[in-house]
Amino acid sequence: MDLSVIFRNFDFMFGGLILTFQLAVISIAGGLLLGIFLALARLSARPWLYYPATLYIHFFRGLPLILVIFWLYFLVPVVTGKAMDEFTAAVVSFIAFEAAYFAEIIRAGIQSISTGQTMAAYAGGLTFFQCARHVILPQALRNMTPALVTQAVVIFQDTSLAYVIGLREFLRRVNLVDAREARSVELYLFAGLIYFLFCSAGAVLSRRLENCLQRDWA
Amino acid sequence: MIEIKNVSLWYGPRHQVLYGIDETIAKGQTVVICGPSGSGKSSLLRCINGLSRFQSGEIIVDGVSVLDPATNIHKLRSNIGMVFQHFELYPHMTALDNITLAPIRVRKKSKSEAEKKAMEILERVGIPEQARKHPAALSGGQQQRVAIARALAMEPAIMLFDEPTSALDPEMIKEVLDVMIDLAREGMTMVVVTHEMGFARKVAHKIIFMDNGRVVEKGDGQAFFEHPENERTRRFLNRILI
Repeated sequence: MDLSVIFRNFDFMFGGLILTFQLAVISIAGGLLLGIFLALARLSARPWLYYPATLYIHFFRGLPLILVIFWLYFLVPVVTGKAMDEFTAAVVSFIAFEAAYFAEIIRAGIQSISTGQTMAAYAGGLTFFQCARHVILPQALRNMTPALVTQAVVIFQDTSLAYVIGLREFLRRVNLVDAREARSVELYLFAGLIYFLFCSAGAVLSRRLENCLQRDWA
Repeated sequence: MIEIKNVSLWYGPRHQVLYGIDETIAKGQTVVICGPSGSGKSSLLRCINGLSRFQSGEIIVDGVSVLDPATNIHKLRSNIGMVFQHFELYPHMTALDNITLAPIRVRKKSKSEAEKKAMEILERVGIPEQARKHPAALSGGQQQRVAIARALAMEPAIMLFDEPTSALDPEMIKEVLDVMIDLAREGMTMVVVTHEMGFARKVAHKIIFMDNGRVVEKGDGQAFFEHPENERTRRFLNRILI
């Protein structure tokens, strides 16, 4: 064991970790936003909203993420004639892909609230949006917090796939350091520890959030 | 006044729930609807405030047609209070917030004004001390009284009750019925789906017996209980009056 290899290359690898976080944060935010709209469309009674959303979700859930990244990076420029930089291609792939998973979590969360709640809100004269904002979403959000956080953690891990189109995120940089220094054991154990730490932090945060949302009711 | 004219309702293309219901409920009347489960009582109730969209016929509430596209359904509903079998209180809000949500969001009242009014109503249903609790911390009877308070906070012209005591333990039924009896005596227009025949005897101006989506028999309290004309009504009454 020679742990000095980690300290010698710390700045280089840390730079990758920042890129990993950028990828993850943008993808989670974008995926969540797109996922909310997809989920609402999938819950809609209007066929022109329901069918495209359903098709989209099934389509992306039926593909490996790495293929989506390849498509976006190699195929889209062929079609549009414009090259896409690696970061954009990766982020768009992640958002497009993860939105399908977020959408299903959100849909299930909304459907877990009984229709009686909607009826009670409507009976009081509330509109669709008032009912969603004040009655359904606050309850649904609590129910879906664990699944949403899990999915966010999965995205954080999935960002390592961006290396296939040449993005030098955290794991890719560890890999590069290993190619130079030939210290696989130390480096990959270190990489594992870093992923483990951040993902565990996510899990702890999720539990905190649930307790916080749950304190008064149920 | 509620005018129900030849209303038929289907759930899906084949499953007909209501068959040409005709009924008029005058202002200040209390009407009790009873009948076996699946007879369409609750569905009829939900048609009155447009929660169920019936396919044929018309319902006119205080001169406004419920399903007319020109009708502001939210405004109409805000004048019709509704109380549900399973309370349907919002579990993430305190009793007080449950009551003030619609007055603040729909009637655009200020928070303080809405809360003042809410406390008055909680006083009236006998549980002002529960205002700051969440529904989960209340007994069934208290929850249902909060639900009644929530409906009353909109100062509705009409109150609909959908089996309001069916989910309650026996010792809590009375506290809810007492509130309803008071309301009826104060002249509220009420449509009550219930099997509480004691309540019906006391305050109902009219009792409607439904079976298989049709009105089988109706009458004022006395006639209905003492000389039911229809065989189906007689059997039903025998069973629930023990």
